[in-house]
Amino acid sequence: MGNAEGRRSQLLRGVLDLCLLAVMGDGPAYGYEMTKRLRARGLSIVGEGSIYPLLGRLERDGLVETHRAASNGGPPRKYYSLSPEGERALEAGVSEWQAARDAVDGALGLVKAEVMP
Amino acid sequence: MSQFVDECRREWRRLGVPDPIANEMAADLTADLEEAEAEGGTAEDVLGNSAFDPRRFAAAWAAARGVTSPPTLDSPSRWRRPMAIALPALVGVLVVGAGLLLLVGRRSSAFAVVTHRIVAGPGPIRLFGPGAGRIVIPGPLGRTFVGSGVAGVDVHPLAVLLLFVGLGGLGLLAVLYWSFFSGSRRYRRHDGPRTPGWN
Repeated sequence: MGNAEGRRSQLLRGVLDLCLLAVMGDGPAYGYEMTKRLRARGLSIVGEGSIYPLLGRLERDGLVETHRAASNGGPPRKYYSLSPEGERALEAGVSEWQAARDAVDGALGLVKAEVMP
Repeated sequence: MSQFVDECRREWRRLGVPDPIANEMAADLTADLEEAEAEGGTAEDVLGNSAFDPRRFAAAWAAARGVTSPPTLDSPSRWRRPMAIALPALVGVLVVGAGLLLLVGRRSSAFAVVTHRIVAGPGPIRLFGPGAGRIVIPGPLGRTFVGSGVAGVDVHPLAVLLLFVGLGGLGLLAVLYWSFFSGSRRYRRHDGPRTPGWN
């Protein structure tokens, strides 16, 4: 499919904030550390946009808390962690995602059944 | 990689991002990029496709943090477009205004288009209605005009020209503006986002 990358981006747009909140559930993390956590879970942002503006938005919306701390031998970094409001948002968002995924699975499953011999 | 951060700094400075916030973002970005480089990675590993557009990335980040307005990179064209419409429109209005002033203020050089008899009283604009007889109206440069039609209006020729040009120009501008505006709406409706929403 020619616009497969575009479709992937569109699909990720609505859930990348949830993915970031989810990896913060493993513990406070700075920007690049979250990128690595996402990659470890199979979600690479190469070819996609940066997570920094999204982190800024999450911070502005009060879904994450931040603090500065020294990293391992490196300069002080800005660490992001879930705020109580962020935890609630993550929980609600995961439920919404699962409902949407089930609905899409149902629709695509029907199409597949009709196409398959 | 430091060149990317420098580009971001320049953009934040241009956008008026406060120095403490710009310094903080630059420090975080530098640390992440250096870590990726130390691990053998590239800027793209950290920034995705934003690594190829530092200005857009910097503007998006600053906007997300609430220190600038969202459509930052397009700000020059945002005022250029209305000005491109407003200036010709102003010229058109001035031309029409000049025509109207001339129409009501310069009776001495008026000419008659057609006439049989004067219906209206004295004034810069005289209307002629149908009726018997002929009338001679003084025209520009000492010439006279003899009406022979059924109706007419006494106007200054330059006023007619200015009104024609002004109103025609405004009409043309309206058509151009409308076609451009509807074209822009079509573009926004059918063209997908150039970059992902979190960029």
